[in-house]
Amino acid sequence: MLQRFLVLTLFLAASAFSAEGVDRTATEIVRDALNHWRGLSSQSEMTMTIHRPDWERSMSMESWTQGEKRSLVRVTAPRKDRGNGTLIDDNNMWTFSPKVNRVIKVPSSMMNQSWMGSDFSNKDISRTDDILEQYDHALLGKTELDGLTVYEIESIPHEDAAVVWGREVLFVREDNVLVEHRFYDQDGARVKTLRTLEFAEMGGRAVAAIQRMEKEEAPGEWTEIRLDSVEFDVELNSSVFTLSNLRNPRN
Amino acid sequence: MRVIQISFVLAWRNLWRNHRRTVIMLAAISVGAWAMIFMTALMRGMVNDMVRDGIRALPGHVQVHNPLYRDDPSVSNLIAMSDVELAERFSSAGIERFSARVRVPAIISSERESRGVTLLGVDPIQEQSVDAIGSTIVAGTGLDTAASNGIVIGRKLAEKLETEIGKRIVIMSQDPDNEVADRGFRVIGLFEANLAIQEEAFVFAGRQAIQEMLGIDDRVSELAVMGDDYRDVRPLLATVRQLMGTNDEVLPWNELDSYLGSMLAVMDGFVLVWIVVIFLALSFGLVNTLVMAVFERVREIGLMLALGMRPSGILLQIVFESSLLLIIGLAIGNVLAIASILPLRGGIDISIVAEGMEMFGASSILYPELQASDVVLANVVVLILGFFASLSPAWRASRYEPVEAITKV
Repeated sequence: MLQRFLVLTLFLAASAFSAEGVDRTATEIVRDALNHWRGLSSQSEMTMTIHRPDWERSMSMESWTQGEKRSLVRVTAPRKDRGNGTLIDDNNMWTFSPKVNRVIKVPSSMMNQSWMGSDFSNKDISRTDDILEQYDHALLGKTELDGLTVYEIESIPHEDAAVVWGREVLFVREDNVLVEHRFYDQDGARVKTLRTLEFAEMGGRAVAAIQRMEKEEAPGEWTEIRLDSVEFDVELNSSVFTLSNLRNPRN
Repeated sequence: MRVIQISFVLAWRNLWRNHRRTVIMLAAISVGAWAMIFMTALMRGMVNDMVRDGIRALPGHVQVHNPLYRDDPSVSNLIAMSDVELAERFSSAGIERFSARVRVPAIISSERESRGVTLLGVDPIQEQSVDAIGSTIVAGTGLDTAASNGIVIGRKLAEKLETEIGKRIVIMSQDPDNEVADRGFRVIGLFEANLAIQEEAFVFAGRQAIQEMLGIDDRVSELAVMGDDYRDVRPLLATVRQLMGTNDEVLPWNELDSYLGSMLAVMDGFVLVWIVVIFLALSFGLVNTLVMAVFERVREIGLMLALGMRPSGILLQIVFESSLLLIIGLAIGNVLAIASILPLRGGIDISIVAEGMEMFGASSILYPELQASDVVLANVVVLILGFFASLSPAWRASRYEPVEAITKV
């Protein structure tokens, strides 16, 4: 009798949870995390630090995003890099460098190359959406972190997906903040990891304040992105995401 | 007639009067002839190998492209006709060995590396018929149909990418609107080519899969046609030109790969230069021998002249002497050359210097190739030039004043 009662309460509790949207499928969790990170639109300031065993440098950047497909990043400091920008519209990517005063479309051949000398590739920057369309997601388990549930999700790319990884494992906190993103090769060895080092409350949401990308095969080399400020759902003129704005900043 | 006979007998006997000198001279001529023929065969083998390899490295004997394709091998410059139409036209014209390919520059990436390659979307059945590289599968399987979802890459490329059969790689290229076109393929086979550079340069995938990825329906960028002999492609060229009309550019291999084309042309000139150079070295020995022979016999020649032999008889005698030397020497040289080339038919392994050889596109096994025309050329050049070289001492001998010659000490 008692056992029955327990089972029933557990069941009720579980259904109550799912009513709150906690018991989502793996795909939904990933989508929510992506939307949470991006918002409908966002405007942020961040600092990127590229660390190597013998040197380190930092760049300050401003960034704007709108919807799933458009974003613009512009370097504000140091002075010598100021004005360098990257515009992403749909699957296309352009860069602008004031020194050569040219907008260059990033060709497919350069998508795997590093973005502004960091440990992120151009592809990492431009194609975060692919994780929804080109993967199958499965919930592996749940853990606790600072009192919040963390979902461990395994994402396996489709057979013909333009993804080199064998699988990826995402750790997403229940408030939709990405905790860790691991990339594995097809032999199951981890190649690189994007890890959130610090969480914070910014722009009215919980966000990953410091994220670090590290390659397993090159210890001591990493790239860190620190979010200095962010605003979500801001009004952005669509002219922000144009080539002319990439070249001549007006906002 | 009698003069010729006497001169010939005298020449023959004179030749063996100082047999040591004659044997040395014969040795020099035969080694020279051997060097001419043997080295030429080696060079021929190397060049033919390069040309055949070059043709296997995709040009085929005749190729069709969009007129803009060779300047800008992008996916926008396609052949006007669809692959179906091309296949129909060529088959009904009785041409059996052709392959319609999509050929675009692309990036191949694995988890750790990415590289620029030439991506070929092929119909494996057509491709087999033109016997291009990529058909020598050393591991895994080849593509089975044009719709295949697998990819075949070079063994060396697989090493560089740190990938292997059964793993997925990503191919990235551009569609006709200059947008990124990419997708994953599973490596199903590794091919082997004579040159590592080719193993790294080309990847082969199913034509339909590539057409779909690039969004180009059923069009192709290249049509390669094979004929019977790469040395004479004109009839084939004419047929293909007629089949294709004027919209597309039809070119033979030696214009497509002008390096290879001129290589072959240079080779023919080189053989002649090589033969002449060796001959020049030889001719000093020959002339010297003859001058010595004449000088030794000044009194004898004077006596013959005094006894009534005509100067032309003397001239004939010396020319016979040199011709006999040359003919015997050449005969020995030819036999030597053929005897040394035959056992090497299977190829000479020069893999010690393979890397250097690869730099100019030659493979690491050298197959000497004896070409009848080269042998004839070597012999004829030596005989004719030898004849002219011997004219000068012969002329001098025939012009002696009998009295002076006899009394000369």
